[in-house]
Amino acid sequence: MTPLRITVNGREHVLPAPPETTLLALLREHLGLTGAKLGCDVGDCGACTVLVDGLAVNACLMLAAQADGRSVLTIEGLATPDALHPIQQAFERHAALQCGFCGPGVILSAKALLDANPAPTAAEIREALAGNLCRCTGYAKMITAVHAAAQALHGATDERSPRATPVPRLPLPGGGTGGPR
Amino acid sequence: MSDRRPVTEQEALRESLRGLETARLPATVPPAQFPIETLVPEVRQQTPAVGQRATRPDARLHGLGQTKYIDDLALPGMLHARIKRAGIAAARIARIDTRAAEAMPGVMAVLTGREIPANSFGPSLQDQPVLADERVRHAGDGVAAVAAVTEEIAAQAVERIVVEYEPLPAVFDPFEAMREDAPRVHPPAGNVYAHKIIRKGDVERALAEADRVFEGRWTTQMVEHVPIEPHAAIAAWDANGRLTVYSTLGRITLGRADIARTLALPVNRVQVVGTIVGGNFGGKNEISQEPVLALLAKKAGRPVKGVFTRGEEFYASTTRHPFFMDYSTGVGRDGRIRARKVRLVLDGGAYCSWSETTLGKACILATGPYKIEHVQVEAFAVYTNKTVAGAMRGFGAPQVCFAYESQMDEIAAALAIDPLEIRLANAFDEGAASPTGQTLESVVVKASLEQAAARFGWREPRS
Amino acid sequence: MRAFKLVSATDSAQAVALLAEHGPGVKVLAGGTDLLVDLKAAPEAPAVVLDISRAADMKGIAATDAGLRIGALVTHGELTRSPLVRELAPVLAEAARTIGAVQTRNLGTLGGNLVSGVPSMDSGPALIALEARVTVAGPRGTRTLGLAEFFVGPRRTALAPDELLVDVVVPAASLGKPAGFLKSGLRKGQALALVNVAAALWIDPDRGAFRAPRIALGAVAPTVIRAPRAEAYLEGRAVTAEAMAEAGRIAATEARPIGDFRASADYRRELVAVLTRRALAAACDRAEGAQ
Repeated sequence: MTPLRITVNGREHVLPAPPETTLLALLREHLGLTGAKLGCDVGDCGACTVLVDGLAVNACLMLAAQADGRSVLTIEGLATPDALHPIQQAFERHAALQCGFCGPGVILSAKALLDANPAPTAAEIREALAGNLCRCTGYAKMITAVHAAAQALHGATDERSPRATPVPRLPLPGGGTGGPR
Repeated sequence: MSDRRPVTEQEALRESLRGLETARLPATVPPAQFPIETLVPEVRQQTPAVGQRATRPDARLHGLGQTKYIDDLALPGMLHARIKRAGIAAARIARIDTRAAEAMPGVMAVLTGREIPANSFGPSLQDQPVLADERVRHAGDGVAAVAAVTEEIAAQAVERIVVEYEPLPAVFDPFEAMREDAPRVHPPAGNVYAHKIIRKGDVERALAEADRVFEGRWTTQMVEHVPIEPHAAIAAWDANGRLTVYSTLGRITLGRADIARTLALPVNRVQVVGTIVGGNFGGKNEISQEPVLALLAKKAGRPVKGVFTRGEEFYASTTRHPFFMDYSTGVGRDGRIRARKVRLVLDGGAYCSWSETTLGKACILATGPYKIEHVQVEAFAVYTNKTVAGAMRGFGAPQVCFAYESQMDEIAAALAIDPLEIRLANAFDEGAASPTGQTLESVVVKASLEQAAARFGWREPRS
Repeated sequence: MRAFKLVSATDSAQAVALLAEHGPGVKVLAGGTDLLVDLKAAPEAPAVVLDISRAADMKGIAATDAGLRIGALVTHGELTRSPLVRELAPVLAEAARTIGAVQTRNLGTLGGNLVSGVPSMDSGPALIALEARVTVAGPRGTRTLGLAEFFVGPRRTALAPDELLVDVVVPAASLGKPAGFLKSGLRKGQALALVNVAAALWIDPDRGAFRAPRIALGAVAPTVIRAPRAEAYLEGRAVTAEAMAEAGRIAATEARPIGDFRASADYRRELVAVLTRRALAAACDRAEGAQ
């Protein structure tokens, strides 16, 4: 089995994988990156969306071998240790993540859109998210969140290094420290 | 490939080990370095809620892809299960031959219905087998299951299980199923398994005396919940014979009792861990594969995970009931409803599931939010050899709403009354009584209608 | 998915050789949006999967003397974004944009869509309206044929088991020809066509009349078809809304749709009439815009 050489979230991995391994299985089972989900396994639901060389694809419809030598971005590679990506922040703030199962795929579809089109219209956002099925959050909040993220990113001087947005600390009434619920 | 150096076998081995090493180490930035300060509201403190922007405490992990749903969890030595589905609507199981599956390398356990200690469950009637043993009642019934070291081996093994069926006559139409001579889904019992009547006043006389009587039938189809996360569970036993089940179950207390019952275990030996669920909508309100996984895990001595395929979501999980709704409504010339007689037939599929709850709620709501003096509602839930109908958001409320509001529009059109006005004339007021005599408080039907009408300009002239 | 052996080709010649070597049972993998779904459902895996997705000479979009050459491996996403396509044959970009969703468009290829031979494909009508030709390579060499002749039945093409579709050429004569594409599905996103229609035409500037109108219909016959009687009706006729409506009605009589759970045959015929009229109108708008 010739090992595959795949860059995932900026880091190169050399991995042996049987030919029938999908990119989704490689990410989830070989690399432990479970952010991309298996929802339908036939390319309809978009829960497995990742970016390959910057383009959104269904990881369930791609053999891992087809990603050999290419660069993959998963949801785990979006935030930095210090800050959420502005899209993640906007989704959190605008309540666009309810059960969250479709969330990683939706956020990555939004990332691919905003990389190519910094100021999309609502119609363009809808088109970009048409391959991501959501059953509980609803698309209205997602569209609001993508707009907000576009605005947050728009002020960035360099499109490729968006301004780091600090993680908001939850104001705790009474000055408490919070605790497990 | 040009970017790949040719490697000798030994080098390849080293390469692969290096890959595995990489794979075992955190694949990206270690998760602990993520900005995962979660949003935890202060406990024991009343925070102002109304008018505040609410942020879900779990949203941050969702957005980071760090929330662990069942399929994102793995226990050491964990096996993967697949269930063999009958693929036939009604049959007697003559013989199951699992030898070829058991002989496959990688297969660690095989299970059939006869091995299940108490092979029945259900939230109200315990009429559903965990795996069909004697009789198949719909094509999505499980008849055997396999646990193997990979999902792929389990899937292949399931195909090597040979089941001999003696086909039985099947019934797919609920009205046909209600006839005395219809094939019985659960013999010797008849196919009507739940029946309810609500009576208020004298509906027959009021209908006879009404200025106009409107009649109609409305039907709704079967609907699947389609949660984006399929049903998933992991079963693991500890050395003291205690079972832990991680599951997408929405009702874990009820599920725990059902799991314990089917396994003939005291309930205190079963722990159910409910995780974050990727969509439920009522479709995950009862156990499904959990006892199967538990028994496979027991046989194999290793934890077992099961995840439904998208196909199984459609044919082996529950659905929304198809309804057949006959309405006779007596109305005065003024548009006031005097009497309403409703007959509901619910196509329940092969097992009861949440049919009784659905039937009850549909009955109570069947006459709508309207003041009607004379009411009769009669409803039947009927077995057919089809996919099971169970809980889905609203428990029958959306179906009857479709019927009574459709008829309201027909009445309004026939009497040349504005559709809004006819609803305002009939709608509940504060303190109105439901058909079952419940006094209603905080009734805002009319206010809601008025507000909605104002917002979309119903009373403005239309071109 | 069942285990299979994966072989990979870096150009079409190697792909043809590997196809010959591994026999007719080999499955060809390009974008994978159909093949992987099939392989996941198949009880038996093929002995060999031939990955052609790295065949360099089957990629790329280029303007040549013969016309616009589009490699079979060009994805629907590339078609929607290509400046060349958008300038010379924008209707192809419009049709590609209606296929699946962003993710599947970034994987699925034009060649894969065409060799599927599915009557409801969205690439077919636009290309047939532009009278595109395809290049097929096999052990007996390379041949070209019109795309209309390439489709021989539902899910059947003129491709022999040992042949590969290499590229599609929109002839130079069709480049810049005003065209329109319309599709009706059960919803906007990820929908198969109930009916799709492409129309291409020139307008004779002196007479204000249709010249060389081409109408192609999808999902209403065993293959994508032309509507020759509607075309003949329009040829030389003055450009009017009435003429376009009548051409739509004629096209509806040329369609041979089936009825299924998505739509009845009558509804599909009605759609043909409406979409043909609108596709013609869209082409006329584009012609006016170009003047």
